[in-house]
Amino acid sequence: MTKIKSFLILLFIIMTCSLLTFKSVLAINMESPLFKIQYGEIGIAGGNKASDNYSLSDTVGQTAAGQFNSTGYIVKAGFQYLHSIIPFRFSISNTNINFGTLIANTPQTATTVLTVSFGAAGQYQVTAIEEGKLRTLNEANNIPDTQCDGGANTCSESLAKPWTSSSGYGFGYNMSGNDVPTDFVDSTYFRPFPDRTENESPAVVMSSTNVGKNRQATMTFKVNISPIQPAGKYQTIINFVATPSF
Amino acid sequence: MKIFRFLFVIFIFYFLFFISSKNINAQQVSLSLSPPLIETVIKPGKSILVAYTLVNYADPVILSTKVLPFQPKNNFGQIKIKEEFDGPIRFSLDNADFNLGQEFFLKTNDRQQLLLRIRVPEGAPEGDYYYTLLAETQPPTAQAEKTTSFAKATIGSNILITVTESGKVDIKPKIVLFEVLPRYRFSFFGKKINFFDSTDLIPLVLVVENKGKNLIKPEGQIILKGNFGEKAKFDIVSQNILSQSQRLITATPSAEIDCSTLSNIKACQSPISLVIHGFFLGFYQLSTSLIFGENSPQISASTSFFAFPLKIFVGLVIVLAIAVIIIKRFTTEE
Repeated sequence: MTKIKSFLILLFIIMTCSLLTFKSVLAINMESPLFKIQYGEIGIAGGNKASDNYSLSDTVGQTAAGQFNSTGYIVKAGFQYLHSIIPFRFSISNTNINFGTLIANTPQTATTVLTVSFGAAGQYQVTAIEEGKLRTLNEANNIPDTQCDGGANTCSESLAKPWTSSSGYGFGYNMSGNDVPTDFVDSTYFRPFPDRTENESPAVVMSSTNVGKNRQATMTFKVNISPIQPAGKYQTIINFVATPSF
Repeated sequence: MKIFRFLFVIFIFYFLFFISSKNINAQQVSLSLSPPLIETVIKPGKSILVAYTLVNYADPVILSTKVLPFQPKNNFGQIKIKEEFDGPIRFSLDNADFNLGQEFFLKTNDRQQLLLRIRVPEGAPEGDYYYTLLAETQPPTAQAEKTTSFAKATIGSNILITVTESGKVDIKPKIVLFEVLPRYRFSFFGKKINFFDSTDLIPLVLVVENKGKNLIKPEGQIILKGNFGEKAKFDIVSQNILSQSQRLITATPSAEIDCSTLSNIKACQSPISLVIHGFFLGFYQLSTSLIFGENSPQISASTSFFAFPLKIFVGLVIVLAIAVIIIKRFTTEE
């Protein structure tokens, strides 16, 4: 009896563990009562092949690539058309950039990593813009955009300058890594974000003409407040837009 | 025995807890959108349906989509997306459960097909219209515990639309710049003479302007000819040049340059079309011929440069000078 009990307990444990470790299986619905998708893409394999006499780029199972002609329109789309097997992909490693409790004259920094994978036409850009200044929720107070160290080292939305002085107040960013603007000479160079509420244009923070996979850049955010900055929790949204070229 | 059972139950609970627990990371966003580019030629009164695939590789996310027009920002292929929609083209999603501007939820590793309907109304003026389909995450609306900057991720895919009743397109290309970026440049009777050291990299810039109403796509080669009969060919990378704009055209690179250690060379100071490697000696001519599809005009341009082993020559002179000084000193001592 005890042997049967032990066996049942063991069986229960194995079944529970099996159920917990299962992963969902995805399937492609080709039809619903409301619509029918004629060209569902089921990529099975793909790549570039070559010999002395030919060169071929293929994606087995991809049905919507190439040039399509019909009466009244021509559409050019898909991986073969762009000679690409790497889709355009954009990642942000951390979307909540927390500065903690701000202390006057003590700069706080936080980082996030931007990653772009692209193998199509090759060129891409990532732009950034703030949707308003770092401000309290009641919008009564804000932290100004940085001007860096000021004087000869006054930075702008399009030109990074050194920001090392503890009396240089504001909010800005530095870029390092792949495909970043050349004015970010080292980790002490910063720019302020363009501000959408002031009708400024987004700044290009990553761009390249190279075909690449996993192009990575680190954005370092920096805040430094003055002793007269009112206490409060300040927030803003930085909008990153990644687009391939045309 | 009771203690054994109790320990056994504790073990099971711990075992199940460790299996079902997952690592907690910072909130991440990772999206892909394909195809990355659509080019279409449409007659007024027609519509097409394009199926995009949006994939979420990171944490579950709420997304929405929109279409905005763009214009070329510079001649490096960068774009400036406009804040407001304009133009005669009409866009909508044929998806059953949401449309443009409406939010939808995407789980980790989930994908969403976006069925974008592009409609050109009757009477739409002929010409080119450029748009970007954007899928953007919705940042949190809750108040943060500390001072925080929230990141909002937007991924785009460009749509190039040529509206034409007859199917004919307006092709008016012009080469506005085809030059090497030399180490030294002299002017001789009004003609520019470019000089390189024999071991220098040869950076070349080719900029083409499109003065027509429709986008064009150049095809062709850049050919290097030396005075000893040597010849090298570099294929142009076929890229769109939008209407009324210029673009730096790139050619198949002979090699990638690592500019992290070579920031002082001209090839790393500004975008270029091609870098040619090798040991050069004497006079060289570079030429290019471009076509823009069937029955299009062919345009061409050329430039030239001289290359001499200046560094080797200077080195030899220094070595000879030192040798002469040493020999003279020895002979005077004797």
